[in-house]
Amino acid sequence: MGFILGGLTGEEYDRNYSDAQLLRRIVGYFRPHLGKMLFVALLIALNAAALALLPVLTSRGIDGALARGAQGVEVFNANLPVLLLMVAAAGLAWTFNFLRQAITARVVGDVVLTLREDVFDAAVERDMAFYDDYSTGRVVSRVTSDTQDFSNVVTLTLGLISEVLIVAIVFVILFSINVRLALITTAITPVILGAALAFRWIARRTSRQAKRVKAEVNANIQESITGIGVAKAFRQEAALHADFERVNAEAYRLGLKQGLVLQSIFPVLGFIAGLGTVVVLYYGGSAVLAGAVTRGEWFLFAESLALFWFPLTSIASFWSQFQDGLAASERVFALMDTEPQVVQTGAEPVPELEGRIEFRNVHFAYKPGSPVLQGFDLVIPAGQTVALVGHTGAGKSSLGKLIARGYEFEKGELLIDGLDIRSFDLVSYRRQLGVVQQTPYLFTGTIRDNIRYGREDASEEQVLAAARNVAGGDWLDSLPAGLDTEISEGGRGISMGQRQLVALARVLLKDPAIVILDEATASIDPLTEAQIQEGLETVLKGRTSIVIAHRLSTVRSADRIIVLSHGRILEEGTHDELLAAGGHYAELFEAYFRHQSASYDPEGLSGPARTPRPRG
Amino acid sequence: MTTPAASTPTSEFRVDSAHTYDTSTPVRWIVSHVSRYPLLLVGFVLSTLAFAICSSLVPRIAGLAFDAVDRPDAGQALLTLSLLLMGVVFARGLADFGTINSIERLAQRLERDARSELTTSLLGKSQAFHDRQRVGDVMARAADDVRQLNLMFSPGVQLILDSLINLVTPLVFIAAIDVRMLLFPLLFVAAFAWALRRYSARLDPVSTAMREAFGHLSAGLNETIAGIELVKAAAAEPYERRRFAQNARAFRDQFVRQGDVQARYLPYLLVWLTFAATFGHGLLLLGQGSISVGELVAVIGLVGVLRGPADLSIFTFAMVQMGLAGARRTLALINEETELDENPEGYAGVMKGDIRFEDVTFTFPGAEAPTLERFTFHARPGETVAIVGQTGSGKSTLTKLVNRTFDVDSGRVLVDGIDVRDWNMESLRQQISVIEQEVFLFSRSVRDNIAFGLPGATFDQVVAAAKAAQAHGFITELPQGYDTVIGERGATLSGGQRQRLAIARALLTDPRILILDDATSAIDSATEDEIQTAINAVLKGRTSLVITHRLSQIRRADRIIMLDRSRLVDQGTHAELLERNELYQRIFQRYD
Repeated sequence: MGFILGGLTGEEYDRNYSDAQLLRRIVGYFRPHLGKMLFVALLIALNAAALALLPVLTSRGIDGALARGAQGVEVFNANLPVLLLMVAAAGLAWTFNFLRQAITARVVGDVVLTLREDVFDAAVERDMAFYDDYSTGRVVSRVTSDTQDFSNVVTLTLGLISEVLIVAIVFVILFSINVRLALITTAITPVILGAALAFRWIARRTSRQAKRVKAEVNANIQESITGIGVAKAFRQEAALHADFERVNAEAYRLGLKQGLVLQSIFPVLGFIAGLGTVVVLYYGGSAVLAGAVTRGEWFLFAESLALFWFPLTSIASFWSQFQDGLAASERVFALMDTEPQVVQTGAEPVPELEGRIEFRNVHFAYKPGSPVLQGFDLVIPAGQTVALVGHTGAGKSSLGKLIARGYEFEKGELLIDGLDIRSFDLVSYRRQLGVVQQTPYLFTGTIRDNIRYGREDASEEQVLAAARNVAGGDWLDSLPAGLDTEISEGGRGISMGQRQLVALARVLLKDPAIVILDEATASIDPLTEAQIQEGLETVLKGRTSIVIAHRLSTVRSADRIIVLSHGRILEEGTHDELLAAGGHYAELFEAYFRHQSASYDPEGLSGPARTPRPRG
Repeated sequence: MTTPAASTPTSEFRVDSAHTYDTSTPVRWIVSHVSRYPLLLVGFVLSTLAFAICSSLVPRIAGLAFDAVDRPDAGQALLTLSLLLMGVVFARGLADFGTINSIERLAQRLERDARSELTTSLLGKSQAFHDRQRVGDVMARAADDVRQLNLMFSPGVQLILDSLINLVTPLVFIAAIDVRMLLFPLLFVAAFAWALRRYSARLDPVSTAMREAFGHLSAGLNETIAGIELVKAAAAEPYERRRFAQNARAFRDQFVRQGDVQARYLPYLLVWLTFAATFGHGLLLLGQGSISVGELVAVIGLVGVLRGPADLSIFTFAMVQMGLAGARRTLALINEETELDENPEGYAGVMKGDIRFEDVTFTFPGAEAPTLERFTFHARPGETVAIVGQTGSGKSTLTKLVNRTFDVDSGRVLVDGIDVRDWNMESLRQQISVIEQEVFLFSRSVRDNIAFGLPGATFDQVVAAAKAAQAHGFITELPQGYDTVIGERGATLSGGQRQRLAIARALLTDPRILILDDATSAIDSATEDEIQTAINAVLKGRTSLVITHRLSQIRRADRIIMLDRSRLVDQGTHAELLERNELYQRIFQRYD
């Protein structure tokens, strides 16, 4: 009875389509399979007819037996055609159903496949601005689960048609036999529908409560387990246990309530159907006594009730499940239809770049109304290493993101080697761009696969050379299996520093003209940190580099430091020049870089004996 | 019923009122849980039986009514039978409610008790055990596996028992009418059992393959989307597209295969054929005068009852399977030995804080290479020792040997000249404090968190500790000051703030040995000033082992030990190492 819980996980929709629009698009996906769908429809009708035939034939058989009285084998022989028909009907009903399910599985499988490919294409084409708004989990569930739910619309509709057909056929037969008795029998319909709907409403409420308390139990256990070290160190296990027992008892109470509510729909519906049987038995029997119907027909009425009430509960649940399916397809289409923000004016193949970057009166905002850059101008000559510094929100990362063309700017021009970035074919442009993220992403596979990512054509020697060129390659020795070390999902299992080293090797292999590097803020063990710094020197040499700098050693060695504030350049120069000038950079140094110095020692913290002089 | 818990032979924590369960096998374990509630169990079986009997009575009464219309007092008989049927329908409804009430209660209690047993057992395990476990895995067991036990009974066992009884009672009723009429229903039961087995054998591998294909599809996609920035930067969209299309097609193929197997579900056909065959058989007997029309109608109706068991989904069996698998995993966790040794007779005294490692080698269970090899060093009381080395070089492991989170394989670790294995565990741990890299705080108030190790501490003591840890300032700026609740539903704190709360927590218990895994990174120098002041406060007057990434802290340490791939490669003061050690020079190369 999944329908009772259906629709609990609704999300906010990003876009609203009318039901007609949605249906038209859904139907569009099924159009290539039109022939098969029509055949399925035919099978459904045939299956329904064969199923409805069974009680009718039984009823005929009973009347036949009664008409002839008890006369030996003749009773059987006379009814042989009816019996053979029954066997045939059973066989046909099963065959029709078999074909219907097998064909439907193919159609649904193919439609979901096509749809998934379409959504996937749409997803990878979205720009980075899009991924700021949508978490990975949400996008993934749209491609995997929502597409599956989408196909539910079809399976559900087919099921509904089949059940409505059975009910309708039985309905017609009953009314053709005796209107009064048929009316009494079908009086059960609204009662069952009403009960099913009422249950759905109650179940949703108790389920929500139970869900909440379940989350609470899980949170409690999670806290106990994560904090067990602390609890043990301080010997506080009993306090944790008492806390847990309280939440666990509450979870039991609400879980039981939910379980009882959900389960009691079966006795209730069964009871209503039972009352229906009582009514049919009494009034049917009276009708037989009055001569209004035959005993076989009476039997048919009693039997039909069973055929009747189960489909009815499914019909009651159909609408909400159908709505859930539509909502899922709405989410799928919304993802496909999102307007990209980054719009290229052309798709010119990009020549081999020198790496000169020029911002000309660039205006940029993530959200309309809160500008980040307003009339920004900057020229970075080819081959220069530029360190961007400034407080959070100064616009450092924005510059990198615009150069990587992850976001669209509103006004002005961004020129690479004097060419408009908007006219580029992005794939060929990005081949000449190296990006090192703050927390580099690694894919499942070996370190070797990860260095090679995006350059599938690179030879083994090239990969090895790139790895060896980063910090002399000795970082590979501290990995369990060197280049063959397996990475689990997302890069867990190796340290943040090692991930950065892999990312640097990746850039070396790619040999781009421009490098954009977002330095890590996380703390990294001192030796790995030294290796990263050595690796940076190799990677940045001879390329135009834009570094969003957090490390003291990086700003020190940059060709040019640019101090940003609120999207404007306040100061620029080298570390020594700017520090001597005693301006904004000196302030930033005091705020962010001072403590990274090895001679950093806040006042009065250590005795003089503990502070040996540095060498030289 | 209340005996002391003995589910784990050694445990650091136990609940006196806890029930004892048989943890030898999953089935016995479940049985010992369920048998705590014999009344519910009996109630469940009896009400299921009552329900099945009532269900079979319905067609029987209908059959009687069929024969009654031939009788002279037909009207009266019809009314009586209808009222009787009404009574049966009521009784059936009550029995149905009874079933649900007992099984649901039983299932929910099973979940509650098993979760409680598991959690209690987890609290009693050693720290070394918990270090080996991934929190996610343990959570999965405490949440999902335990939940599977619930589902295993409601609806799993419930439906299976229900189907079994509903398979048997109609047969009994049919036999009561005429034993010969059993012919086809019995054939059906045999064929049904065979068909179900065959179906299950075919569906199982396909369903598994489909689940795997889906897992593959979503894991692959998850990776592509999580790494989308890289995908774009590497211009690898075509490659990712190919990979996705492959996975999506593999899933489609399994989906179709599953559809084919499901479409071939035979019991539906079998029950209809039985229906026709029994009807024919009944007509034959009717012709011989062996049974009445009403009895034929009753038998046909009883065959209809068999439709219920035929509808029994294969999923029900899967639920029981999953419940057993869940029980197995949960039990594995409960039964896992913990290498704990409380050593209550061991040495207990005031610690001075002298730490000595003598030729220590340690290998993680199951690992090939040792994490620490032939390791020797000495820290005098009050000394600050900085441990430097790459991730994975054994720094944290080394500190965990001091408080006996792990025990050495060979060599000795001595505290105050006494082997840590000869210390009373309680006394040893009470005087050693550990500040982890990722500070754990409970979802409680700031005050309770600081006083966690000393629940009786006065507010003044808490504030004094917070002040020394440079935490007082930011605490008073929180919405409710010291009463602010931390955690998901409360205030979120930065890494630096969490670390200072942990320092305050440690200061309050005044340990003799401090182990500080200091990987917290402060972005700005002002915060760093506070953190350093706090750290210095906590290091003062204690023997401290400090794992740090901060160059300035390394410099200031009394001694530095350098690890490289599980070996101690050098030790000395900053000046000494800078003079002679190449690796050490490389670290400081860009800074001085």
